[in-house]
Amino acid sequence: MEKEQLKQQLKEQIIQFLNLTSVKPADIKDDEPLFGEGLGLDSIDSIELIVLLSREYGITIQDPKEGRKILVDINTMADYIILHQTK
Amino acid sequence: MYIHHHTCISPQQTFRNADVEALQENTDNKLKAKEPVYDGIPPGILRRMGKAVRMGIGAAIPIIKQQSTDGIIIGTANGGMEDCIKFLNQIIAYDEGMLTPGNFVQSTPNAIAAQMGLLDKNRGYNITHVHRGLAFENALLDAMLMIRENPGNHYLLGAVDEISDYNYNIDLLDGCYKNEKISNKALYTTSSEGTIAGEGAVMFLVNNDAENALAKINAIQTLHTTDETEVRHALRQFMQQHFAPGQKADMLLTGENGDNRLLKYYTAAESLFDDHTTVARFKHMCGEYPTASSVALWLACYPQPLPPHMIKKQGSAAAVRNIIIYNSYRGLQHSFIHIVITHKK
Amino acid sequence: MSRIFVTGMGMISAIGDAVQKNREALIRKQSGISTLTLFNTKYTGLRPCGEIKKGTQELKDMLHAHEKGTTRSSALALHAFKEAADDAGLSAQQLSSPHTALIGGSTVGGMCLTDELYHDANRSENGSEYLSSYDCASVNLYLQKRYRMGGIINTINTACSSSSNAIMYGARLLKNGLAKCVIAGGTDSLAKFTINGFNALHILSPEKCAPFDRDRKGLNLGEAAAFLVLEKEEDIAGKKTYAELTGYGNSNDAFHPSSLSDEGDGPFLCMQKALEKAGLSAPAISFINAHGTATENNDAVESRAMLRLFGTPPPFASTKANTGHTLGAAGAVEAVFSVLSLYYQEIYPGLHFSNAIAATGLKPETHYRQMSLQHVMSNSFGFGGNCTSLIFSKV
Repeated sequence: MEKEQLKQQLKEQIIQFLNLTSVKPADIKDDEPLFGEGLGLDSIDSIELIVLLSREYGITIQDPKEGRKILVDINTMADYIILHQTK
Repeated sequence: MYIHHHTCISPQQTFRNADVEALQENTDNKLKAKEPVYDGIPPGILRRMGKAVRMGIGAAIPIIKQQSTDGIIIGTANGGMEDCIKFLNQIIAYDEGMLTPGNFVQSTPNAIAAQMGLLDKNRGYNITHVHRGLAFENALLDAMLMIRENPGNHYLLGAVDEISDYNYNIDLLDGCYKNEKISNKALYTTSSEGTIAGEGAVMFLVNNDAENALAKINAIQTLHTTDETEVRHALRQFMQQHFAPGQKADMLLTGENGDNRLLKYYTAAESLFDDHTTVARFKHMCGEYPTASSVALWLACYPQPLPPHMIKKQGSAAAVRNIIIYNSYRGLQHSFIHIVITHKK
Repeated sequence: MSRIFVTGMGMISAIGDAVQKNREALIRKQSGISTLTLFNTKYTGLRPCGEIKKGTQELKDMLHAHEKGTTRSSALALHAFKEAADDAGLSAQQLSSPHTALIGGSTVGGMCLTDELYHDANRSENGSEYLSSYDCASVNLYLQKRYRMGGIINTINTACSSSSNAIMYGARLLKNGLAKCVIAGGTDSLAKFTINGFNALHILSPEKCAPFDRDRKGLNLGEAAAFLVLEKEEDIAGKKTYAELTGYGNSNDAFHPSSLSDEGDGPFLCMQKALEKAGLSAPAISFINAHGTATENNDAVESRAMLRLFGTPPPFASTKANTGHTLGAAGAVEAVFSVLSLYYQEIYPGLHFSNAIAATGLKPETHYRQMSLQHVMSNSFGFGGNCTSLIFSKV
């Protein structure tokens, strides 16, 4: 899958997974921080996103702290998925 | 303890521009709440909320906005049942694999009071009473004690419970609901076992200030028994203890719910009242659920006379000032609340 | 207002099925954390727990608790309730009196039957015997029925501070004259539901937990039931009393659904309110039974809150490494431990501690010792920011 296509799919998955009903994929910028500022996600969301990576891309992250290095913004997530996905 | 502000999200038109004159009809034995647009809840927070939490917060916001409170006291039998079952389904569906924790965190009954505290930055007293059919009554008693102990304080007191497909199914298997579909308009004319399900969120602002209050909660008592003569005896004693000599109840508001097995308790209670007292009912409006008595209290504080569809027997009392609410949950948990209306009706 | 005394106690936990057995285990520094053997979950062997090694059927047989729909949570509660009521010498007549109240906290209730709940929620006929046993209230309704209790019966759920709030509420009922005797406490049993829930939050330790240790890896879940009998000074002439309940405080952290604020506002405020209620200044506290779950968040925040309030905190320790975190029962379990500390003038050490948390430098007590104690504080903090502290004092 092309990176652009992956990023679009990822945005849709995040919105659905975190029930961000008031957000559209176009509202999420590729380099906008997911946590704190930007989307304003918190620690529970970061765990939910780790589960998303596992269920959708077969990526296992054991340590949530490790996860925060990957879950920076859409770009870093997409890059990580391209390198590590198993499905 | 005095009630100063009250809000209610229920299957009827009770939230914003409340009008209970016209009865909303329902024919599938599940009276679901008419949820408003929750414009007061930030979307980032709303997205995580299951129905119970959402209704509770939605009902609380108009009160919290008006008055900062010294604590939050909530009664709910089950809290976020929907989230609880969603998490349970995850456990089964993913065979205890990687699960998302959001549902788990929202599934604990204290999530409603906790979320209110979070939203209101309220670091005061915060508690959730979950004693099934007396969860609201215990919360009410707690609020009365808090006000007795801290006379100048204000508290947010409320009750929330939701229908989920799962708890409906469990209670149906347990014989709580009717097997045949009925209209809520015909609830009291059926003679079968079981009732219809309901849900809602009711919130009150309470304090010790008589001025401009809607109503005074004079007394409350709870009872566990299956014996209707014991209920009758306890209600008689309750009134002897809390009514002034010669004083009579102008209205008895009961939780009659169309379940023929529970009628004996309501008949026993009604037998204590004479022609003076109007007998009214409310479960055709909100359905049966563990904290439904909170809706009765909201209705008791309703600023207009109660509509004809609620009246079982019209009494001769010229004005409604002293109200007794009697509710029974499954014929085991019973409560009496004595309310004195302090505003004009 | 009346003074409130503890006149009876009962407890069953992973380190013993009676109060005295629990005390002996604490003195011996015994941990009840082990591999799960009594129910099936994928986490058997991966997440050690404070499991009570008595099967539910064995418990029911022991207690003659064969009523339909009796859950493990109810059986554990009955076990502790009986011991507490006997210890306080309460007769059947006293138990059924309208002046005797029962206030219990629980978070799991009958949901210990996680699989049964799932099946009952999804089947259209032939429900199990547990249809009305899944909620938190089922435990106290069971006790009410069994002992025909006539006073105020209530169930409280404030997550992991549930039974501390039950004790606080019980004391307030006594002070307001709504009961003459209160049996207050809590119960929770291990469940697939909670194991998966806490595991999903990544706060279950793969090894035995190490409260307040720099390298702590999370909590161990446990199961327990504990009850205390509370009575007013004027009603207990000549009766044995263990301790006085002098202070209690409840506050909300108002920060996050499942973790505490960095500065620990909720923990700080509930400790402060408890001191106020007891009319004590911070240095009067001789010992703190800390919440100390051994999660990264709790122990760091609780340490900071203690530093804020006490400057130099008094000796403290957590008993979570002995019993596991027993959730809705934890407040009552640790109230009993606090009362035992006062009664026997001794402190029970924390286990598995090696290095202090760098940012706070606080070290829990690690050796059993006898010590002169006047006032012991017991902390409980729950999800949703529900924080409660109790203070017991020597009689």
